[in-house]
Amino acid sequence: MTFLIVAALGLLAAYALYIAALTARAGTPLLDGGADIPGWAAMFTAAGVMVAGPGLADHLNLVSRFGLQAVHPAMGLVPGAMAGLVVHKRLWVAARIAGMTSPGEALGRYYGSVTLRVVVLTLAILFALPFSAHLLSGTGQIVATATDGAVPRAVAVWVLAFFLFLPAVIGGWRASVLVFAMQAVLLAALFGAITTFAEGTLAAPGFLTTGIPVAEGILHDRLPGVIQNSAGIGKEAAQGGIFTAVGILSSALVFVGIALSPGMLFLGQTTAPGRSKGFGAVWLTAGLGGVALLVLLPLLAARPTLAADLVAAEPLAAVGLILLFVTAGQLAVAFFTTSGTLIVTRELILPFIVPGLSAWGERLAARIALAVAYATLATLAAFAPLFSAVFGSMAIPFAVQLLPALLGLCFVRWISRAAVIAGLVFGLVLVTFTEPPGLILFEGLFLDLPWGRWPLTIHSAAWGLAFNLGVVLLASVFTARGVERAHRDRLHDEFFARWAVPQPRGNGRTALWSLTLIWAFFAMGPGAILGNSFFSRPIFTETEAALGLPSLWVWQILFWLAGCALVWWLAHRAHLGRIDATLLRRIDLPDPAITRDPARAPDWIAAGLARLTREVR
Amino acid sequence: MTGVPSDRQQRLDRHALVMAVWLPAAFVAAVLFHHGFGPGGVWWLMGGFAVVLAGFVAHVIVNAILGTDFTLREVALGLFAFALAALALVLAVLLTPGFAAVFFWPTALGLVALAIAVVTYMVIRFGPRAAFERFDIIRDNNPRRASRLPHRGGRA
Repeated sequence: MTFLIVAALGLLAAYALYIAALTARAGTPLLDGGADIPGWAAMFTAAGVMVAGPGLADHLNLVSRFGLQAVHPAMGLVPGAMAGLVVHKRLWVAARIAGMTSPGEALGRYYGSVTLRVVVLTLAILFALPFSAHLLSGTGQIVATATDGAVPRAVAVWVLAFFLFLPAVIGGWRASVLVFAMQAVLLAALFGAITTFAEGTLAAPGFLTTGIPVAEGILHDRLPGVIQNSAGIGKEAAQGGIFTAVGILSSALVFVGIALSPGMLFLGQTTAPGRSKGFGAVWLTAGLGGVALLVLLPLLAARPTLAADLVAAEPLAAVGLILLFVTAGQLAVAFFTTSGTLIVTRELILPFIVPGLSAWGERLAARIALAVAYATLATLAAFAPLFSAVFGSMAIPFAVQLLPALLGLCFVRWISRAAVIAGLVFGLVLVTFTEPPGLILFEGLFLDLPWGRWPLTIHSAAWGLAFNLGVVLLASVFTARGVERAHRDRLHDEFFARWAVPQPRGNGRTALWSLTLIWAFFAMGPGAILGNSFFSRPIFTETEAALGLPSLWVWQILFWLAGCALVWWLAHRAHLGRIDATLLRRIDLPDPAITRDPARAPDWIAAGLARLTREVR
Repeated sequence: MTGVPSDRQQRLDRHALVMAVWLPAAFVAAVLFHHGFGPGGVWWLMGGFAVVLAGFVAHVIVNAILGTDFTLREVALGLFAFALAALALVLAVLLTPGFAAVFFWPTALGLVALAIAVVTYMVIRFGPRAAFERFDIIRDNNPRRASRLPHRGGRA
């Protein structure tokens, strides 16, 4: 078994090196892959990251513990795909017409704010290091467990990190995305194959006969209410499980956070034009991703001894199961670490720390940055898994807080810099104090707080976003017509002139947004509670329907299919999934926050570097 | 920022896509074949052939979308793998007692199905005459000028 696992992982590593070497020989730019990443690779990568990003093994673990209620947040793939469509196309256009080549630069230049650049850089680092280290640590643990300790966790972590680092440092962004795409296809194939194999060969009862076995007191096939007056995880246990209807609505924001993470924004900006964004969002992210997480995952989670049963039935299938989770971990870790490092290199190192480098120097700087990032990643994952888990928990909820800023850049011109920054401050503080880092620090330094993680069973991302949006709306009332409005209007005027979203005939526009809100209410909002018994004890009758399937699962699948239709509408009817490069026209959008020479490092960075180099001498 | 990908880069992108299709398909097919030739039986074996067939169809779709054709290396690799599989079948029938009784027909049918799929693809892609000409080595070696007339194929 150990040999088979190591051989399979070795083959994948060899493939990654092969693609990286070919890419390097083709002379592709290291930092952005020439900004014409093939559409097919980008759409498979995006879908793969959406499924693997929240942590596939962690997700399976939650489903095993809480049953179908923990499956329900995967409905967030639909709003995640929608968020990607709404933001990525306009960000791509902004990158091409105004030269905003990375997400931090786009937000920073549009709003004229250095703070926003710093926020995006911080987010990129959070995703690249603690968040990825947490995933890598889990992946190393899977390898260690699967090999019965023959490959210890720390060794697995270092070896995996090294073989994720090599393709990135040799082939850069383009090679990395080509490899991610293959890993995403592999994920899809393994998901389908392993589930089919398990259902077809294993004699032990599965999901369709016994459901998901959970601990006593947990509702395995129902939602435990619309909302619960719970102080939060760590303070008070919610009755029947933590995934109430409102909890699901808020947890679904995790997928929006992945779609708005700096790495995904960077991928969107560096993709070639075409129809891939729409196809990927509809058929891969919402479609295939939904099949994996909503339909297939419960079947796997219902078999507590799945791995052992597969080893007995067919060792290669067991290797496939291990490969499924290890590949998911590798995909997410490499994606966030490589993209985060390249963003930091583009936005901080090259323009401010070592400005004026030659092309060769820039490649070297990027490679050194990648080496430092992967070494730090492996160190954190191997020796500080708890630290990584605690601080990594903030990455996704923080990313969700970028939503108002990105909506402002893409569509809503009256959202001002002051409003965005004020909203971000509130959002980030709320997230910090509803996630472990804030709670641990505050309670360790001062006094116990009356709430724990995710109070009222509401995810921290939603706590932050609610306050964030409220403050943004309020502040925009007073600042919408500030002095920098004309600067923001230049980009929006160009969007309006050449990239306007076509208005549907009749009441189509109203219908789209109304249907989306109604869908959200019933699919994953308070209305989802109806799914508990809607198909097993239909209303207006006294009889019980012998469906043979949990009512909640049928509800989830039906509303997921309806959600896919909404994504299709947004992608194709609203033309947000299609980019026509012939409409591009360059505009000049200088950064009002940087009035001096943009190639000159800020004084505080220059002074810090000078002090450091003096001490070295 | 937007660059036009070079020919080399486009070839690499296509190659990566083809590999992304075949690597997962090959792994899944290997699992199914291994289980089929072991305790699983005939249906799992057929499942393995179905996955290989699906991989071939996906490869054809890739070619259709990108406007390309199978490369010489891909054709050579495909023929080599097919010949190897056929040889393995013959050797297994001859050397493994009891193999032929259980596995000969499903394996042979699977291989024949793959061959039919390739021929069908060629007929659809090139038409019956051009598809036949790809194998028509005899006429390639025909020195008579008449064999090169347009209505007889018009070869250069």
